Amino acid sequence: MGLEDFRADAMRCTRCAYCKWIPFDLMKSYRFSRGCPSMEAGKFHSYSAGGRLVTALSLMDGRSTVTEKVKDSVFRCNLCGQCDVSCKICRYDMEPLEAMRELRATLVKDGHTLPQVAPVIDSLRTKFNMLGEPAEKRGDWVQSLKVKDLSVEQAEYVFHPGCRYSFDGDLGHIARTCVEILQWSGIDFGIFGKKEKCCGGRAYDMGYRDDFQNMAKVNLKAWKRAGVTTVITPCAECFHTFSRKYTAKAGAEIKVVHMVQFIARGIKDGKLKFTKPLDMKVTYHDPCHLGRQGEPYVPWVGHEKKIFGQAVCYEPPRPKYNGAFGVYDAPRQILNAIPGIELLEMERVKEASWCCGAGGGAYESYPEFALSTANERLEEACSTGAEALVTACSWCERSFIDATAANGKKLKVFDIVELAGRAL
Amino acid sequence: MMKSIPKEAYGAIEDIVGADNITDDPAFLDSYAFQWLAELVRPNRSHYMPRPWAVVMPASTEEVAAVTRLCNVHGIKVKPISTGWYHWAAPMKDDEPTVQLDLRRMDKIVEIDEKNMFAIVEPYVICAQLQAEVMKRGLNLNIIGAGCSTSIVASACAYFGGGPTSYFMGNNSDNLLGQEWVTPAGEVIRTGSLSSNCGWFCSEGPGPSPRGITRGGLGSRGGLGTYTKCAIKLSPWQGPPVMEPKGVLPGYRLPIPENFRVYTIGAPSWDALAECYYQIYDNGIGYIFHRQFNLAGADLAPALWLNYIDTTKTLNDVETSAKDPEIQKITEEARISFQFIMQGNSIEDIHLQDRILDEILRQTSCYKVKRFCEPDMAEFTNMYMQRLGHKHCNFIWAGGYMGSWMQPGTPDFVKKYVPVAIDGFKRDQQANDKLVQCGGDALMGCGSTIGGGGFFGLEQFVSYDPNDNDSIDACVKHMEGAICDTAENGIPPGKELLYLQIGWTDERIWDTFARMPQTFVLNFQRKIKEAFDPNSLGDRNYPWLPEGWAAKRDGPKTL
Amino acid sequence: MDIRRNALADIVGAVNVIDDPRILEGYASDCSAAPRRNPRFVVHPQNATQVQALVTWANQTHTGLVPVSSGAPHFYGDTVPSQPGSIIVDLSGMKQIKRIDRRNKMVVIEPGVTYAELKPALAKEGLRISQPLLPRRNKSVVASLLERQPTTIPRFNFSLPEPLRNCGVVWGSGEIAFTGESGNGIPDLEEQWKLGGAQVDPKGPNATDLMRLLTGAQGTMGIVIWASVKCELIPAASHSVFVASEKLEDLIDFCYQEERIRIGDEMMCVNAPQLATMMGDSANEIGRLKAKLPAWTVMIRLAGAGHFPSERVEVQRLDLGRLAQKCGLTLQNSLASNGAAELEKAFESDSGDTYYKLKYKGGCREVFFLTTLDKAPQFVSNVFAIAERNRYDVTEIGVYIQPQHQGVSQHVEFSFPYDPGDTRGTERIDRIYAETSEVLMSEGAYFSRPYGAWAEMIYSRDATATKILRVVKGIVDPKNVLNPGKLCF
Repeated sequence: MGLEDFRADAMRCTRCAYCKWIPFDLMKSYRFSRGCPSMEAGKFHSYSAGGRLVTALSLMDGRSTVTEKVKDSVFRCNLCGQCDVSCKICRYDMEPLEAMRELRATLVKDGHTLPQVAPVIDSLRTKFNMLGEPAEKRGDWVQSLKVKDLSVEQAEYVFHPGCRYSFDGDLGHIARTCVEILQWSGIDFGIFGKKEKCCGGRAYDMGYRDDFQNMAKVNLKAWKRAGVTTVITPCAECFHTFSRKYTAKAGAEIKVVHMVQFIARGIKDGKLKFTKPLDMKVTYHDPCHLGRQGEPYVPWVGHEKKIFGQAVCYEPPRPKYNGAFGVYDAPRQILNAIPGIELLEMERVKEASWCCGAGGGAYESYPEFALSTANERLEEACSTGAEALVTACSWCERSFIDATAANGKKLKVFDIVELAGRAL
Repeated sequence: MMKSIPKEAYGAIEDIVGADNITDDPAFLDSYAFQWLAELVRPNRSHYMPRPWAVVMPASTEEVAAVTRLCNVHGIKVKPISTGWYHWAAPMKDDEPTVQLDLRRMDKIVEIDEKNMFAIVEPYVICAQLQAEVMKRGLNLNIIGAGCSTSIVASACAYFGGGPTSYFMGNNSDNLLGQEWVTPAGEVIRTGSLSSNCGWFCSEGPGPSPRGITRGGLGSRGGLGTYTKCAIKLSPWQGPPVMEPKGVLPGYRLPIPENFRVYTIGAPSWDALAECYYQIYDNGIGYIFHRQFNLAGADLAPALWLNYIDTTKTLNDVETSAKDPEIQKITEEARISFQFIMQGNSIEDIHLQDRILDEILRQTSCYKVKRFCEPDMAEFTNMYMQRLGHKHCNFIWAGGYMGSWMQPGTPDFVKKYVPVAIDGFKRDQQANDKLVQCGGDALMGCGSTIGGGGFFGLEQFVSYDPNDNDSIDACVKHMEGAICDTAENGIPPGKELLYLQIGWTDERIWDTFARMPQTFVLNFQRKIKEAFDPNSLGDRNYPWLPEGWAAKRDGPKTL
Repeated sequence: MDIRRNALADIVGAVNVIDDPRILEGYASDCSAAPRRNPRFVVHPQNATQVQALVTWANQTHTGLVPVSSGAPHFYGDTVPSQPGSIIVDLSGMKQIKRIDRRNKMVVIEPGVTYAELKPALAKEGLRISQPLLPRRNKSVVASLLERQPTTIPRFNFSLPEPLRNCGVVWGSGEIAFTGESGNGIPDLEEQWKLGGAQVDPKGPNATDLMRLLTGAQGTMGIVIWASVKCELIPAASHSVFVASEKLEDLIDFCYQEERIRIGDEMMCVNAPQLATMMGDSANEIGRLKAKLPAWTVMIRLAGAGHFPSERVEVQRLDLGRLAQKCGLTLQNSLASNGAAELEKAFESDSGDTYYKLKYKGGCREVFFLTTLDKAPQFVSNVFAIAERNRYDVTEIGVYIQPQHQGVSQHVEFSFPYDPGDTRGTERIDRIYAETSEVLMSEGAYFSRPYGAWAEMIYSRDATATKILRVVKGIVDPKNVLNPGKLCF
């Protein structure tokens, strides 16, 4: 793929500005009507998906060059995909999110990178994680748990906690809870522990496709060697990367399951029962990568064709991937099954979920932007009257924990696995 | 050769709005130059209108005024844009230095006066936002035909103002109450009761209404200063305080409360349609009244919409469906149809409205289109029409749409030009395959653009591929064909002329103006411009005729 | 011999040029405090061509023209010449009802057509127009609409100028140009009708709302030679109901809710003196009624036109009854032994031979303005306090609150009856008028129709409007020939 592959998208953008908002049908208030964190931060049209399409066109047409402002407009974005959802409400022929990713990759390829990202990528290349942590400490979260080591053994399932659950001291216990749940369920699984490598998803989103490819190659090879057919992960970013980005390559045959799906299935099958009440009013944050970017995915290869003269469609038919079938129900089934939990929904939920701020590399590249985005979400969470915000992604949790610490909001932040574990 | 804003001017504006709120970065500027419909009028089918010299984002009326006054000093035109969405939102000429005022930061709902049924808003408050808030208070607003993503200030003060709810709620020209206007000279003007310090509730007076110079059938479209606030009249809403759509995108469905009815009404002929419209006006029933779904073309509309509500389907499925005999039956049934929603003050009221509607249908031989009145489609219609958040579907076929015709008038007037419009569009589609082949009737429009009924237009939805110069050419050819068709049939020109004029020279536009049967208002507007825009910072979106201008050539009155 | 007489006679015909002092006297003053000034002539043009010729002549000779369409008495001073040597252009003889279009529910009339003349003509087609409250029998429909006199059916009032739609105008410059959609086509009504136009859309033409520059203008911008007016169907069934209370405050919520959901046709809120004046035919009867009627009454006519008219009335009654109950009020079918039919007379009638407000004492001064409903009770209190201070019996003051713009604004009108033969009484009225106007204006009452002294008060406070209107005036009437001296000109 190259940027030219998205020329048609840019030419067919109508500048409707739907990309700046949540789907209008879902708007319930003035306060929580906006959909694009990037637009809230940057304000100029170039910070929207439509604006970036024009940037791409303008660069391709030689009408402008990459300046610091252009870089800022391209990278100051969570790639949350809300724009993609809203655009596709009415369009079958637009892929704004993919176009924006391509724009990033093009800039990176041409050397227009953000200096603050360099240490992060360097860490990925040398330590196989994006947190700058020593690779050998990756397995420390396991502590005293006894789990199959897939670097030397084999199993059907691999549990892949991901970089953040592995290294983040606040979140390691969640990975352990996951392991306990998996053990309880009796499936044949293992972990790679300190040999585990980053999924590479964030690198992809930040425009470093080669680095992503390297990680993907390494992971797929390791899983094949371990006889793994299914990856289970509690991290929404990893989930998205494995199920959407790996499947473009040899990863097509690997099944990917998020912990919420696993737990929800367990509840449905009667294998997991919540017996301990947790009296809490909670609200649930749909992670972008589990929700609208977590749909079942089959990579499409084909070409554009026209019907009825000029109507644009594709051969074979190109699925819409508009966020309709993201993993929305499973986490809610879990929360509703836990006795004592009262789920109070925010206004922007499911496909209209406001980003946590960490996505797209923003946590690393633009921490103050990530923080303000997170704060916006926390405002919304607090508006429900909930005492806790629950989510299913390590990056979301990190972002929210940082934000609550910074703004002093008395809102607890939980991973859904933690609540599930407590209730079992 | 692209020029750039002088440093001095840039610095001075920066001092007013802050460094983060002004830019002259070329890529950023291009995002404002790039506009829908530009490709129809620009050289080499470029999608870019002229580039502004800078984009400036003021936060307040004071900043707008200060920037405008500064631009007067430097001789730089000022072009405001809020939500945008038409090529005339951009600068008009390549050789005119222009600052684009992006009003995005002026996005507050200043006040909702629930009792007195109006809201005061800034330019970047969109209809959807205000609707969500006022519905909580049992109120609603007229959302214009371009949909809920549009700026209320823009439609009330500076553009057209008609929409599917205008029949019940009034045109936004009539819904406009007090307004605040920064003239091109940088003066802040308030009109109506506001200028007399009596609040926002009235747009008329004192004495003759000064607001009469700010807009008429259309507004100045950014060509005569910047509107920074307005109060908009609201209307009653008897539905739930918060919309709770169900289902899966894009086919969100809005449950229909028991005091509402949602129908698609079909007519056996255009005569019958006109009779039905007249009876609806006479009987005063109805809340939302619009020929909406036909934007896809009567040949294809049912196939499209029945697939649209299923998110797993693509346009490929539409192609298949269009050949399905069952769908073809529905297509014929819905060929001449419109959407009609009724709101009752009570159950008894809605039952009575139902009876009245049934009687109207009986007398006019019209009918309810069965498939479209089934719960899934009815609830989808309800969602679509109440929030009007799917207006980007205007572009659903290929990313390009141009609305031709749309001459407004009475139902009798409209039904007369409909066959001409249909034949002409069919002819242009059949000339080659460079337009979407949706049949000659892709006519869409409000039941009435003014309150109480009586006046509306239908526009042809001409779908073309903006990524294909041949397709763009075919669209332009259709527009020129439509202009000839209207001239030959004694019909006034339609919207296609307005769009094409954006690409004309001043002289050619003035020639057209000079040939109009009444030029009084254009001369009036010249003098208004002289008074309020002495340095000519506004552009020709505010039309005027130079003094003594006589058309320099013969020929068709409009080309 | 005044040479102008010949020039005028050449235009309108000698018989239509009047300089009889007794007739001129009739135009020199009215029921307002406008300073008396005789016109030089009264001319009666018969058609648009003559009107245009008059305006052209006025430009050439720098002569002021004062357009008048209604018969006497006049009340606001707008028809009294402000400048010496002015000529009254009396349009009351232009009485063509040019077209009644049942299908599009439009009527096109000349300025001399009165409500009394129009009503039966429309009735033949099953049509009517929303009219002001008890207009004078000789009140010009066009003049009333141009004045933005409040009409009595709020639900049709999509804008304040409704039901006025388009106008054919001789502007002060002498040019003829039409307003609204008719301003886009050939300036010939017949031609426009041939092409299917019906002069429906009031907006425009183009980016100017010419009609809005005419309304409230007191004839200073142009002389209207025809107007198109939106009609409604005559209801086949109707029933009037009343909601009464001793305190206006107790009716406010009900009025808000009723106006919001647009139940009923004619709707207004009046106090006892106002209602008595509307119903009574003589001073005695008015006095008697005042004592019997409730302090405050909301009058609503439920009406059904089109299909199932009776059922419409019934459903409205049901819904309104529920609303009244919610507000702790009761719907009544009559008031103080007066049946609905009798009370309803006010909704559709004109005033008969004598304007209704003059029946009580022979004279009446009005103070009226626009406001929002929540402010009305306070304004009432303030006016009553002023009256009391000036030793005017507050039980005489009529209060009429007419919802406008579908309830967004309210026309509030105070009527002060007085005996014009009583000099001291008249002086008291003048003082009350001045003080009330000043106080109300300072408290935010919007005098949107600035007649007489109000003009100076309004425009001295509203520099913006003054500036804009002077610019407009300078364009459409550069030589200030039309009603010079009015408003801010």
